[in-house]
Amino acid sequence: MKRSRVELRSYPPFIHDWKTSAKAAWICSATLVPVAFWSSVLYGRIAVLTWLTAVAAALAAEAMASALTRRWTLGDGSAVLTGLLIAAAMPPGAPWYVPAASAVFAILVVKAAFGGLGANWMNPALAGVAFAYANWPTHMRDYLLPRFVAGVDGVSAATPLTFAKGLAGGLDIRVMDALRGASYPLSSIDGAVTGFLNDSLFSRLSARLPDGYIDLLIGFKPGALGESALVAVALGSIVLVSLRLIKFEIPLAMLTAFGLLSRIFGTGLPGESFLAGDAMFALSGGSLLLVAFYMAADPVSSPVGRGVCLLYGASIGALSFIFRRWGAFAEGVAYAVLVMNVTVPFIEKAAASLRLRRGRVA
Amino acid sequence: MRARGFKRGGVPVDHRAPFKTGPIENAFLPLNAIVQLREHRNSVEPVPVVSVGQEVREGQLLARSTGRASSNVHSPIPGIVRRIETTRTPGGFDSKAILVSLEGSFSMLGKRPERYLWKSLNKADIAHIVQDKGIVRVSSGEPLYEILSERSEAPGFVMVVSALEMDPYRRTEEELLALRAEDVVDGCAIAARMALPSRIMFAVDESMDQPTLEPLRELAARSELDITIQRFRRRFPQDLPGQIAEAMDIVDPGTLFIIEPSTLVALHEAVVSNKPHIEQYVYVGGGSIKRPAILKARIGAPIGDLIEECGGFSGHPETIVIGGPFRGREATDLDAPVTRTTRAVLALSPEETKSAPERPCVRCGDCVDACPEGLSPYYMLKLLRSGRPGDAEAAGLGRCSSCGSCSYACRSRIPLVRYFDEARQNEVRS
Ligand code: SF4
Ligand code: SF4
Repeated sequence: MKRSRVELRSYPPFIHDWKTSAKAAWICSATLVPVAFWSSVLYGRIAVLTWLTAVAAALAAEAMASALTRRWTLGDGSAVLTGLLIAAAMPPGAPWYVPAASAVFAILVVKAAFGGLGANWMNPALAGVAFAYANWPTHMRDYLLPRFVAGVDGVSAATPLTFAKGLAGGLDIRVMDALRGASYPLSSIDGAVTGFLNDSLFSRLSARLPDGYIDLLIGFKPGALGESALVAVALGSIVLVSLRLIKFEIPLAMLTAFGLLSRIFGTGLPGESFLAGDAMFALSGGSLLLVAFYMAADPVSSPVGRGVCLLYGASIGALSFIFRRWGAFAEGVAYAVLVMNVTVPFIEKAAASLRLRRGRVA
Repeated sequence: MRARGFKRGGVPVDHRAPFKTGPIENAFLPLNAIVQLREHRNSVEPVPVVSVGQEVREGQLLARSTGRASSNVHSPIPGIVRRIETTRTPGGFDSKAILVSLEGSFSMLGKRPERYLWKSLNKADIAHIVQDKGIVRVSSGEPLYEILSERSEAPGFVMVVSALEMDPYRRTEEELLALRAEDVVDGCAIAARMALPSRIMFAVDESMDQPTLEPLRELAARSELDITIQRFRRRFPQDLPGQIAEAMDIVDPGTLFIIEPSTLVALHEAVVSNKPHIEQYVYVGGGSIKRPAILKARIGAPIGDLIEECGGFSGHPETIVIGGPFRGREATDLDAPVTRTTRAVLALSPEETKSAPERPCVRCGDCVDACPEGLSPYYMLKLLRSGRPGDAEAAGLGRCSSCGSCSYACRSRIPLVRYFDEARQNEVRS
């Protein structure tokens, strides 16, 4: 073993691309820092605590795994990234042991037990989140209102998605207006920006932006920590894609499929008719973006080939839609990815044999 | 004229060594020349015809070819034969080497070469000279005599004079095309007289500018040969026959006979100036070399001498490479001699090697994007590692050209191409 390592160094090529797995993980983690920052502004101390606990627990678990396997892997950044992603999926009100336990589960059970980075066929962070949903369902739905909206810390509220699902059907208005009608809290910023946009831009196009979308974008609504900074997540995604750290086919196919299906069949909310679903609400709500770019596109647990990636992404999009539209609760996206993670070996095998057969014919 | 493009894969070309057309300097003569008799793993060792203690002239025959895959070797310097012994080469195979220490006077250096009018020579004369002077194809180490005569038996091929570089560092072939256009075209005509190609194509980089190409075009027009100049969009790797064929939409790479300007210059000098293959253009560069330059070095000169001539190291090189960053070999020490196939000596800084510990495959697919042959390196490796070489073969292992792009791109620093090479060597052995 030792000998072959020495020889390996002296084998061409002698120059390499700048990318390393460790660098990729650290950059991904860095793009989540603004998200963490913004959610901490919104929710205060509770949020900071959640982020820190998740990362610390992930690091501790990784250190333990390293000590057991005698392979020092803390520097590769993947543990920190897993911790950050788990924290991003936590509602701000979750007690500290929820993110901690999820992170430990993700690293020790899902990642280490399968042989460490590269061998895990499930995204550890998502598995950790699913673990939390299964064990602490009430905590995981214990959302708070951001303090700017509520005026004080710690006011519980339902997320827009859950709230909208609970609305009685049959109202002949768009979902955001419905929310408003049900006296769903909206921030003054939203009112101001939406009003400005409507007066200056949309009125000329004889359209109208309903209230509430701006709140969705800047996180002035109850939601998981990672959802609170949709803009930051979007910026981070741009970084990931432009540095080619992820296979962009996956989020692309996933969001397209999800958006199209929402448009066609509606989001299950009042005021929609066939082919006129509120795709924008569907896409910007929940942790869809975060899951799409940071978890579904995680290379380890996704397929490698470009074509297969499109299929994989589209399937996740479709499944998420089904889970969210008709499922038990709004956050079906995580489960959609996990389900597709499991199928990856099978789709890849099918694709490989297809390629072989086509290769023989040609 | 449209530049031809390579279809897929390869590594990004961010920056290259600068192109500076200036006179190429002769390297200092080595005090001790270690003349390695085998160029390549597959070459057959010629038989020494000198003995220890014997005085030799510059250019005197040191070892005689035994026939196939073996070429005459001449003394690069005048001096005394000190040792004849078998050593391990940087390429990892064993070869006899003859150590000559400098003494006595020169017959070639400093003298104006007499110009021999080669146009009166026929095919057999040329064949004889090429064989006698031990000219080898610089890119592969095969005796030029052998490939030229093989080609002449199967006419209807295209001779490609390829100035396409094999990495972002070396620009030697381009420089030779610019500086010694006349010799290259003449060498081309000599080779053509022996090998009889149906036509000749100069393959040059898309960025070659008009002032460089114009003289070449004129010479080509005057040469009575069917010469075209074709530009290629740059990509690395780009210099392998299969790759050039693909860029030209030619199905069978066998119909292309690729030869590089440096070989043609050696051929030209052999025929016109009666000079054996005792010199080699070596690019000395890389981030850890103070003054990168192309040197015309004698065979057998220790690479350390060349590095010193280029100002020595700046900073600490992480590795010293003979022959290019993608397919070269690491030099174990600075006494490694220049051979007829040493095209570059690179001292690479850590910023260039960007080495990192090997990690498990993260299935990122970068290697798939990088492979110019459209293979799935990560998948082939997985098959090899799970002991299924047959399936790896079915997945395309045989089409791998060992270009190294996949290992270059791999973010987990897995030496993919090493495993592929080893798997194929095992195949040959078993
Ligand atoms: S070394 Fe082989 S597998 Fe790797 S990129 Fe080159 S051709 Fe493809
Ligand atoms: S580039 Fe390396 S890590 Fe990425 S898929 Fe290929 S072998 Fe795996």
